[in-house]
Amino acid sequence: MDNEMAVSRKTVLFDRHVAAGGRMVDFAGWRMPVQYQHGIVAEHLWTRKHASVFDVSHMGRLVIRGPDALAFLQRVLTNDAAKLAVGESQYTIIANEAGGAVDDAYLYRFTEGEYLLVVNAANKEKDWEHLQSHLAGFKGVEMTDVSEPLAMIALQGPRSEEVLAAFLGLDVPPGGRNALFTLTARGIDFQIGRTGYTGEPVCFELMFPSRAACDIWDALAANGARPAGLGARDTLRLEAGLPLYGHEYGIDPQGRQMPIFACPLARFGVSLDENKGDFVGRRALALQYDALKRLDAGDASGLDVLPRRIRQIAILGGGIARQGATVLKDGRPAGVITSGTMAPYWKTIDKCEHVELTEESAMRAVALGLINSRIGVGELVDIDIRGKAVAAKVVRRNLDSGKGRFAVPILYSE
Amino acid sequence: MSEQELRFTQTHEWARLEGESTVVVGLSSHAIEQLGDVVYMELPSVGAEVSQGQAFGVVESVKAAADIYAPVSGKVTAVNDAVPADPDVLKRDAYGAGWLAKIEVAGLDEYEILMDADAYKKFVETQEE
Repeated sequence: MDNEMAVSRKTVLFDRHVAAGGRMVDFAGWRMPVQYQHGIVAEHLWTRKHASVFDVSHMGRLVIRGPDALAFLQRVLTNDAAKLAVGESQYTIIANEAGGAVDDAYLYRFTEGEYLLVVNAANKEKDWEHLQSHLAGFKGVEMTDVSEPLAMIALQGPRSEEVLAAFLGLDVPPGGRNALFTLTARGIDFQIGRTGYTGEPVCFELMFPSRAACDIWDALAANGARPAGLGARDTLRLEAGLPLYGHEYGIDPQGRQMPIFACPLARFGVSLDENKGDFVGRRALALQYDALKRLDAGDASGLDVLPRRIRQIAILGGGIARQGATVLKDGRPAGVITSGTMAPYWKTIDKCEHVELTEESAMRAVALGLINSRIGVGELVDIDIRGKAVAAKVVRRNLDSGKGRFAVPILYSE
Repeated sequence: MSEQELRFTQTHEWARLEGESTVVVGLSSHAIEQLGDVVYMELPSVGAEVSQGQAFGVVESVKAAADIYAPVSGKVTAVNDAVPADPDVLKRDAYGAGWLAKIEVAGLDEYEILMDADAYKKFVETQEE
């Protein structure tokens, strides 16, 4: 028996996690901290008001270069990689021919002649095989797995820019979401993107040679960022309505493949532009998009390719809608919860021009569900929680990330 | 309240005899530590008849949901609504202010067979191996 296969791997920051009181669990083949000493709730709240560091080194990082790199990426990814200038990144999806997701990913273009694709830890081997299987037609492409030599830390939250500036000892180059920059500071070459998975308007992901990881982690903490684990990472992304492969992409609880356009975020990750050319899954995705457009216009005739959609849900009654719970409309099954949790939030005060976070926090249950496409935003549903029908509402979003420095909770009632 | 005065179940509830026929019930410190932040609870109604081993409440953390089982059979005579309102009390005082329900019992046989603190400690250790 090959026992080493069963042993979870450790990121370069493993000892730091243990020293910080991390509760270590197995996740996607890695030993990762689900939380540190303060717990998931405190880590979530700290991220929304201050800044947190997350070890995301377990994720897969692939470099794609060579004269045919762009043509290859256009073929295997759903977004239009040709639109990326140097210094830009984009959300993208690795699709199969049937219009389902092999994985969702982020494509970074830090320098000329090279792309960096960041994929989910659990899917890295599968993605690699899938991408290799399409490489045959592209002679001038070199794909390299740099997950080990290149470590990755996410720095997220309203204070993360000042933390980063203090750590680097220089002003952070300005830029909007998805902007990238490279720089050398403290003798280390950094590749930094204004990206993240928390719904925070101010967010960074830092990539750098692995040997520097512990020093960087310590220095970010010394400048006011607190470590946050996988538990808070999940509640933060869920509150922000961000999909997670295996929940909102991939195979649904009934064993069927979920169409990519079932996920609202797909509108930002799929390009059906003519210039994009043919790509894996294009035909199926065009049909899904057509069904979506028709539905927007009040025509439900194309829904055989898009019977159910992922929606954000606010739970109004007592209880927590967990993954697998049935969504009911007028007493009849109308879908299933794909992710659900209780999430903490800071109470807010409206100050005519802006919203301020108070010192007081509370909890609310939020969820994502795969529900009948005919059910629209604003409609009331029930969630079957241990046999009890608990009131819930289909909402556009549970968190507003677009109004300045702070992500602001949106609360609902019946 | 000292752990030594309590009895425990394999499902991590504690029980304490109050007077002659009232058993006070709560969750062990070990269970609370394992759950992490408790964010939601459901307790039984006063007047409910419960039997030993029956799920009569729910405790949920961010990551997990667990049933609370009645350590003894009887009638629920009181519930501590202060705990669902502020579950942090479980961390501060699991064996005192963190009590969850009181059950009026007909006899003490079921109570007497529950584990004492030392047996529960050993049980937890074997679970962790």
